[in-house]
Amino acid sequence: MMSKASSVIGLMTASTLVFAAPTLTRAARITSTPLQAQGQVQGTPTQPQQPQPPQQQTQLTLSLSGSGSHPRLAIPAFIGAGADGDLIAAAKTVADVLWDDLDFEQEFDLVSKDAAARVPVAQTVETQAYDRWQDLGADALVVASIQRAPTGFTIDVKLVGIRGADRQQQKFGQSYKGCVLTNARACAHFISDDMHLKIRGLDGVAQTHLAFTSDRDAQRLAGRSLSAQGQSKEIYISDYDGGNQYRVTANQSLNLGSSWAPDGRTLAYTSWINGYEDIYVSNIFQARPPFRPAAGDSHKQNQFSSWSPDGTKLAFASDRDGGWDIYVVNSDGTNLHNITNSHREGIINNTPTWSPSGTQIAFTSDRGGTNQIYIMGVDGTGLDKLTSDASSTDRPTWSPAPFNTIAYAAGPGPGHDIVLIDVTTRKTIVLTDQIGDNESPAFAPNGRHVAFRTSRYGKDQIAIVSNTGKIQRKVTDLGNNTSPSWARTPR
Amino acid sequence: MSPRPLLPLVAALALTLTVACGSNPPPVARPTAPPPDSSSGSPTSTPTGSAGAGSDAGTAPTSTAVPSPPPTPTMSSDAISNDPLVNESTEAINQHSPLQPVFFALDSDQLDDVARHTIEDDAQVLKKYASWVITIEGHCDERGTAEYNLALGERRALAVKAYLQSLGLSADRFRTVSYGKEFPFDPGHAEASWAKNRRAHLMVTSK
Repeated sequence: MMSKASSVIGLMTASTLVFAAPTLTRAARITSTPLQAQGQVQGTPTQPQQPQPPQQQTQLTLSLSGSGSHPRLAIPAFIGAGADGDLIAAAKTVADVLWDDLDFEQEFDLVSKDAAARVPVAQTVETQAYDRWQDLGADALVVASIQRAPTGFTIDVKLVGIRGADRQQQKFGQSYKGCVLTNARACAHFISDDMHLKIRGLDGVAQTHLAFTSDRDAQRLAGRSLSAQGQSKEIYISDYDGGNQYRVTANQSLNLGSSWAPDGRTLAYTSWINGYEDIYVSNIFQARPPFRPAAGDSHKQNQFSSWSPDGTKLAFASDRDGGWDIYVVNSDGTNLHNITNSHREGIINNTPTWSPSGTQIAFTSDRGGTNQIYIMGVDGTGLDKLTSDASSTDRPTWSPAPFNTIAYAAGPGPGHDIVLIDVTTRKTIVLTDQIGDNESPAFAPNGRHVAFRTSRYGKDQIAIVSNTGKIQRKVTDLGNNTSPSWARTPR
Repeated sequence: MSPRPLLPLVAALALTLTVACGSNPPPVARPTAPPPDSSSGSPTSTPTGSAGAGSDAGTAPTSTAVPSPPPTPTMSSDAISNDPLVNESTEAINQHSPLQPVFFALDSDQLDDVARHTIEDDAQVLKKYASWVITIEGHCDERGTAEYNLALGERRALAVKAYLQSLGLSADRFRTVSYGKEFPFDPGHAEASWAKNRRAHLMVTSK
């Protein structure tokens, strides 16, 4: 494996970016815009955030996707901060978060933070303790330096070889400008996505966001009897790793079932603010009142909306025709129509999710006795029963392309586990490990991880598991946290 | 509908109208007198979908912890105007509601004997306070997923509503809503807690 990895690094030599003026110019153009946008959001969250231009992948020659190997990297302490306390703190944060971000996707094998901390610190590329890093099994070193800039700081990252003729050879070099001291984490997330894209050809998710429901700021709901206690649950968003958590609803009611629109700025969710459940669509960066595309009332309740992949439509469950059916509506509230057409009180069709192509919808139904997952064309044809478990299954979530799997909650109880089913072969794997209750899966935008709600830590928390079953992260800590949704953009 | 309650009802209406003329401000509608004891037996009709309590019958806890209905007012104007519930806000009424919660077995929206008796008692209160508009909330214990439980809670609320309708109450007075497993009454993680959490609450939303 080690020699393989070395040869991968060797492959990179042919297309090494020289850390020189043209690269710096290019890096400045790429990096300054997104990081400044991030700073705006932090400083004045009520201002509308401009959509970010998609990042162009111009360095395809560096892509090593498909090689199947995982270069082993070490990240020494960043250099250049001197005695500047703010810069020292920022450098520490970026190094720490970058390690976590790179570890997350498992594209690189990383020397542990503890082991790296025991290697003597060097202030130049030339003076790094290469023999020590080689002893730790590293193939390449992430040498990063930090400098003050007019609006924050700049980080230059060089990837240099460690072994044999590769020693001190630069494999990758980028300057990341526009980082701000108030959100050093965002700088690390940007660098991680850039490195994943340019070195591994992977669309990383380090700059994406989660939405979820929490009772951390719970207030007692008004007008309720002592035997019908209720505490408000609001919707929060955070970075994908749980950083920068903040609240986006304040209606002192129950809010859940968040669904990010593809633009990464609009959330649909189910709220009881008017005393019945209805779907609300809100741009989280604008102070406009939310829109109700399904226009519910106490006899037409709507829940669990899901955006079509192109962002033009919502699928949701409603009891407006008697039983609970699946409906599709344009995001402006027009062309609302029933696609399951059960019209039977007692039958419950629920929790729709769109296929990556937008032509099919998976949902739960108890039409056969227990709650199972079905697939149907958006035009209401081609009903196909996906699961036939002994116990009920719930909350299907269709993966993004190129995967074609559906994650769902299943289990004989008392706990549930997150299961992945391949829609084509119908083969399943259980992602979670029978610890606690695991529900409400939500796919990462690149399909490689699933966020879910789990009781394994005592209270309900959001955690993330890889699509191979390794528990990676606990995202939340404060209060009970449920009902996650993972934004597809911005990157 | 039996014609039996009609006579006392008319008498009560006449009485309250007289009272209303001399007091201000009159509520939109006045409570009617309760029917005589002989009319409060179990009705013979059962709503569709609630036949049989199944093997889970008897697992629902008794409702003794819930405040009992207020003393039945006598047929006098003084008693009616002194009824604290008449002048209280809906919020205050819900704090000490005379309406008792209805309990259910695991993963069930079926009404067992205890549940039907509870609803019959609640129906008497609602006949007395004929202007009250009620939201029936369905709740679940923590077993089962959040999404499924929202559906189950809705079914429980609908089952209670159907039985109240079968007892002669107008469907217009009831709305249903589910809160799934989001608002447990008892936060515990064992059957004693779960049994209290599988419930429907009757909340007064206007009067």
